[in-house]
Amino acid sequence: MEQKPYRSIPISPEEITPKHLYQTRRQFLKQMGIVGLGAFLAGCAPGALESTPGTAAPGSDALGDALTDYDAVTGYCNFYEFTTNKETVDDLAQDFITQPWSVTVDGLVENPRTFSLDEILSGFEQEERIYRMRCVEGWSMVIPWQGFPLHKLLEEVQPTDEARFVAFTSALVPGQMENANSDLFPFPYREGLRLDEAMHDLTILATGLYDEPLPPQNGAPVRLVVPWKYGFKSIKSIVRISLVPDQPPTLWNTIAPQEYGFYANVNPNVDHPRWSQATERRIGETGRRETLFMNGYAEAVGSLYEGMDLTEQY
Amino acid sequence: MVKRGKAGWQKWLQVFIHAGAWLPIAYLVISALLNNLGFNPVETVMRFTGRAAVIFLLLSLTCTPAAQVFKLPWVKKFRKPLGLYAALYAGLHFAAFAIWDYGFNLPLIWSEIANKPFILLGLAALVILLVLAVTSFKTIQRKWGKGWVWLHRLVYAAALLVIAHYLLAVKGDLFSLQGAYTAPLIAAGVLLVVFLLRIPVIYRNLKKWWGRSSKPEPDLD
Ligand code: HEM
Repeated sequence: MEQKPYRSIPISPEEITPKHLYQTRRQFLKQMGIVGLGAFLAGCAPGALESTPGTAAPGSDALGDALTDYDAVTGYCNFYEFTTNKETVDDLAQDFITQPWSVTVDGLVENPRTFSLDEILSGFEQEERIYRMRCVEGWSMVIPWQGFPLHKLLEEVQPTDEARFVAFTSALVPGQMENANSDLFPFPYREGLRLDEAMHDLTILATGLYDEPLPPQNGAPVRLVVPWKYGFKSIKSIVRISLVPDQPPTLWNTIAPQEYGFYANVNPNVDHPRWSQATERRIGETGRRETLFMNGYAEAVGSLYEGMDLTEQY
Repeated sequence: MVKRGKAGWQKWLQVFIHAGAWLPIAYLVISALLNNLGFNPVETVMRFTGRAAVIFLLLSLTCTPAAQVFKLPWVKKFRKPLGLYAALYAGLHFAAFAIWDYGFNLPLIWSEIANKPFILLGLAALVILLVLAVTSFKTIQRKWGKGWVWLHRLVYAAALLVIAHYLLAVKGDLFSLQGAYTAPLIAAGVLLVVFLLRIPVIYRNLKKWWGRSSKPEPDLD
């Protein structure tokens, strides 16, 4: 009932939806809702029209794909430090303590610094980014994140000339994460980007989704989102960001380098021994849809990989 | 009196096994009706039916050694129905893959089979299980005699293929055992025990040991 009017709203051609636009659209939709649905909802308290996360799915990404339901975004997550079960991680992660929190940024930088969570939230203007998320397991979502481009944070610490890569480390808290001591995974979770990838404007540190702080299972309180790469690159619950000279070791690439490349760019032409990378299941849809090269962001990020053979350096 | 009691107990076990074998399907149907298959229903059903098939296959293979070691010949009767249920769940597993997930898009399905060794292993196992299922009738068994026995020994090949399929289906690296390997390794362990129990020296000794420890207690009255 609430979904219907949203479909008729024109879609912004921008890859990134600026926050003010998104919000006006949202407000507009709410008013539409009040006018259009008023008759049906005459008996309801006005509060019923307030968009609560999950009930409203305003807008879509730049390709016109509808947002994935809040319930799915927060109820279907890979966070192996808690469990390998994507549908129970939300329960297991509920008591994860994310305040106080700090992120240490060090290594090859002029101004090494530890940011408190408050400094991250108030020091950088938080904006809205609606991104497709493609998991290497062959499923995908469209998620409205709040956050800010990583380059803004890196500009504050100023990488030196020797810095070529950025290494990220997740929190590992055995008392709070059931699976933290598992021998089956070389935790803590680590990820990495080439410096130019990290500086790209599409690369963000996310602090919220659907206009609320990140839930623990989605990587609270601050995580990476790199929309043109498979989801495992978008490391969660970051405690450390180091600028380094060489390609840093990363968790899945360490476990199975032949399956999970360091670059891990979404690429329908590089198949995976387990999951189809040519097609994907969009959560909430039945059937499969074609997977887009670079997850549909090729125009924006293609220049990063000029001259590289992406079937070799996958 | 004693004899009748035993038969009754066997019958109940039979009912219990058949009911137990249909429960997972009932569970899936009810979950589907209640819209309760999770956010990625195809994945849920694939994993659920795959695991059910493995469990019934392993239970089926456990019957013969269990009957021998524990001297309970009637346990062998459950071997065939359990094997048929394994084939049923494997068939549902494949149906979910081919029809639901891939919408019967043959080129796409073919490319998955051709490019992914774990799918090929699963397909080989499925073919064996289905051949054994359709040749499982008593009349065929009688007609084919020894040939039937040999054909049906392929179930061990199917089990090995299935375990390989399972080990490759989960996320991780098999050689360094880094990944989600707990469940498939348990399944592999059970199959290993089944194979070990088919080695004459081992099952004879176990049988002796069981015979001794289960001797009737002296009457204390
Ligand atoms: C052509 C035949 C088959 C195909 C195409 C097939 C396909 C698949 C696929 C795609 C998965 C991965 C599911 C996922 O994690 O999303 C899977 C997992 C699995 N399959 Fe199959 N399979 C086949 C035959 C079989 C057979 C015959 C068995 C057992 C008797 C079996 C047991 C399993 C098990 C136990 C899993 C792992 C479930 C888990 O992750 O817990 N499969 N199969």
